[in-house]
Amino acid sequence: MKRLPEVLRDWEAVIGLEVHTELTTLNTKMFCGCALEFGAAPNSHTCPVCLGLPGALPVPNKAAIESIVLAGLATNCEIEKESMFYRKNYTYPDISSNFQITQGPVAFCMRGWMDLDVDGAAAHERVDLKEAREQGSYTTRIGITRIHMEEDAGKLNHVGSVDGRIAGATHSLVDYNRCSTPLIELVTEPDFRTPEEARLFMQKLRQIYLALGISDCSMEEGSLRCDGNISLRRRGEARLGTKTELKNMNSFKNLHDGLVYEICRQAEVLEEGGIIYQETRHWDPTARHTIMMRQKETADDYRYFPEPNLTPFVLSDDFIEGIRARLPELPDDKAKRFQADFGLSAYDVRHLVEQRSTADFFEACMEAAGGVGAGGGAVPGGAEGVKPLAKPLANLIINDVAGYLNANDGTDLADTALTPARAVELVRLLADGAVSSKQAKEVFAAILAEDKDPQAIVAERGMEQVSDTGAIEVVVEAVLAENPDKVAQYQGGKTGLMGFFVGQCMKAMGGQGNPKVINELLAKKLG
Amino acid sequence: MTNFAAYGVREIRDGIAAKDFSAREVAASCLANIAAADTEVHAFLEVSEALALGQADKIDAAISEGRLAECGILAGVPVAFKDNMNQLGTHTTCSSRMLAEYRSSYGATCVEKAIGAGAIPLGKLNMDEFAFGSSTETSYFGATRNPWDTGRVPGGSSGGSAAAVASAQACVTLGSDTGGSIRQPASFCGVVGVKPSYGVVSRYGVVGFASSLDQVGPLARTVEDAAFALNAISGLDLRDCMSKDTQTDFTARLAEGVSGMRVGIVPAFMEAPGLDGEVKAKVEEAAENLEKLGATFVEVDLPHAQAAMSAYYVLGPCEAFSNLARFDSVRYGYCDPGHADLGSQYEASRGKGFGMETCRRIMLGSYLLSAGVYDTYYYPAAQVRTLITHDYRQAFEKVACILAPVTPRTAFRFGEISDPTLMYLSDMFTVSVNIAGNGGMSLPVGLGADSGLPVGVQLISPQFKDENMIQAAAALESCYDHVRIAPGFAEGKAGAR
Repeated sequence: MKRLPEVLRDWEAVIGLEVHTELTTLNTKMFCGCALEFGAAPNSHTCPVCLGLPGALPVPNKAAIESIVLAGLATNCEIEKESMFYRKNYTYPDISSNFQITQGPVAFCMRGWMDLDVDGAAAHERVDLKEAREQGSYTTRIGITRIHMEEDAGKLNHVGSVDGRIAGATHSLVDYNRCSTPLIELVTEPDFRTPEEARLFMQKLRQIYLALGISDCSMEEGSLRCDGNISLRRRGEARLGTKTELKNMNSFKNLHDGLVYEICRQAEVLEEGGIIYQETRHWDPTARHTIMMRQKETADDYRYFPEPNLTPFVLSDDFIEGIRARLPELPDDKAKRFQADFGLSAYDVRHLVEQRSTADFFEACMEAAGGVGAGGGAVPGGAEGVKPLAKPLANLIINDVAGYLNANDGTDLADTALTPARAVELVRLLADGAVSSKQAKEVFAAILAEDKDPQAIVAERGMEQVSDTGAIEVVVEAVLAENPDKVAQYQGGKTGLMGFFVGQCMKAMGGQGNPKVINELLAKKLG
Repeated sequence: MTNFAAYGVREIRDGIAAKDFSAREVAASCLANIAAADTEVHAFLEVSEALALGQADKIDAAISEGRLAECGILAGVPVAFKDNMNQLGTHTTCSSRMLAEYRSSYGATCVEKAIGAGAIPLGKLNMDEFAFGSSTETSYFGATRNPWDTGRVPGGSSGGSAAAVASAQACVTLGSDTGGSIRQPASFCGVVGVKPSYGVVSRYGVVGFASSLDQVGPLARTVEDAAFALNAISGLDLRDCMSKDTQTDFTARLAEGVSGMRVGIVPAFMEAPGLDGEVKAKVEEAAENLEKLGATFVEVDLPHAQAAMSAYYVLGPCEAFSNLARFDSVRYGYCDPGHADLGSQYEASRGKGFGMETCRRIMLGSYLLSAGVYDTYYYPAAQVRTLITHDYRQAFEKVACILAPVTPRTAFRFGEISDPTLMYLSDMFTVSVNIAGNGGMSLPVGLGADSGLPVGVQLISPQFKDENMIQAAAALESCYDHVRIAPGFAEGKAGAR
């Protein structure tokens, strides 16, 4: 099979996404008063309504409507003042009433969009764009068709098979706890041209939903799920090809890899003169290929009709404006502010705002840094005075903090021993040259493990960096004296040897020498 | 032995309050009477003896402790519920094999409100399967017989509810009406049947047939009894989004008369082909009586009412198809044994669990909603609904209520109507009321000149102005002194054993 860059030279990929998000931050279900709780004992959160018992009637959850309007406003959608719930009729054991309540042709949120700034490696996939090739970055607008409200189905647990798959199961158990969980489904226009764009969109959408606080957006636990629709057409061709639907892309990586595979597979089929069938395919991340789940020769007939137990929804201007007033600062705006206020790069701010917790932590650090100077007094130069700390703080948060949180799944930053004050102190020690960057990592780990202040850790471990020029000079001279041949080579033009000399000096000083001072002295001596 | 089920609401409530008799005596007499009388009528599918006696004892305890205020407006009144209403401690079968063993795990709002108002729950009443029908002949448990002539049907789908009241086995019953299912059997059995405006009574816990048309209402022997019952069961219920807080006292205008009231009459209804002469004569007689009482008649047109039946037989089956999809044999309901795969279990269980008429409606709804067909039928039906609603709104700008026939003829014999489309015509004067969401009721006006069987007239009121029709019905009722209990049932049958 050809690789993606080669495929994309001849073919244009046309991709659309359908993104399901469970509104996990709500207290109760979509159409009844049952509690929303992940991992509760099976069927412990059920009632006549979500069990679909005869005679029970749905009552919509107002907070869920507020959440979807928030989502729509944050993604530039038009909020429809009048919309209706519809029934989607199909028989399956996980859906207690054998119909799902969803929305009809008019959803609460219609015709939105999101701009994606694509740079770095992600921009390389877009071989057709001059801008991407020449500047290595571009901006593209993804249309959002609609965001509609619906209820989730229950969960089937297949028993007696490998990995709980339905194939080979002896029987299946149904857990209706998830039944009627409020779900919003966002449907994009087929505006993506590369897997990277799709991945970036999902990352950005996740940031927005997290900032709105409407879901925990866990792709792993399935509270954020996405399906892709993919078709190929020859470059220059206007007509769309036959699309396949791709499922089971339960991480950003799987989304990207699954789309890459499917694009390459379709290209191979087409280039060999084959036909793409409209079908649903499943991404298998272990085998790294997609497999056919079911063919859709005709569209499913869900016999949609207006839900007769619910009146059409009329949203007043007051309601919509009330929701608009609740919109928090969105990641894009926050990123722009961080760039403007602290002089950070686009890359840094994008990663800082990726999670609300890290963005908030960064701001708390900057505030802590501004409030108290190094000596306990006011910071000289005010806001401008703390600005130099922004970059090292961003590095600490993007690399060390995010790494720690990823490694300790589910840990809340607020529950760790790392306070903004300690983070600032650590970054100051590094900036002042009191510790090396290697030592800083050790201190960082010790803060989290021992719940102590950075200064105390440094003192206890005697790891203060040697910045004393006199002491370092002795070492530098000794290293140079031990390696006369290397000195000669260096002076002969092999300047790459600088790293070797720095390394030897650091080794001699047990890693505690200030690399900046060592570099300066070496440069001077080697002159 | 006195048959207290032949008493009126006020008589029972006052008698118990005055300690002339106890609630337990009422309950016991009714239970004994049902045991004897219902062998002839078959109105009851289940008699809830323990629940009835328990409730009676609760009422008696409250009376003896002087807690009269707690007793409620239906204190000690023997009632029974159509078997599509969930009631804790009973089966709710909808007269279907599918739910023959189904026990309610919660109570319908209307049932709980009636019991909360002090009513003594005697049991559950026969109906057409899932309320599909006009004769109770589609009940899996066998038809109910009309107490006036046990060779005839009691009407339907709330046939058990009407027959139980007409045979003095209950004072008040609750029924449900989607296209005429309270009014038509009330007319056939000579009792009062009220279908309030859509939203007056909560539908929560009542097994849905066509959710946008279903409405619960009382059947009783007098307008006053029906109004008391309606007061007890109406009101806002947050579990039914369509429920409305009308804050109406339905008894308030019972004695006001109709002097100066403008009443509408629809010429197209009176001239409708198929309307029997004896029924038409009774409607005309009722009009004359109302005029004598001071009402003035105004002709009103409902230009789109002729399309009501077509719209009803699109909207009804569509909603029914979807509402009945939940009966899939897995968690509850009839499950055909011995199937290796789910698909064949579904098919066999539904095929055997549902009767013919239910299957017909499901198939019809499934077809009407399918892609390509929906636009041809459902959408125009929804438009017709808007037009009919508009027709009524215009008519009610001129009149306070409308007088009309309930159903084209008096009760027919078992098996007499086998063509389903002819059976559907039973509802020709009632469905438009459901389509528009208005209130409608049947008032007994004596026996037909030819058949000697009960005839009712229909009064229709604007949406949420149900008190208009109740006011007119109460006035009109005073013009008749015919008995409301079928011959031979008033004294009760318990003594005859």
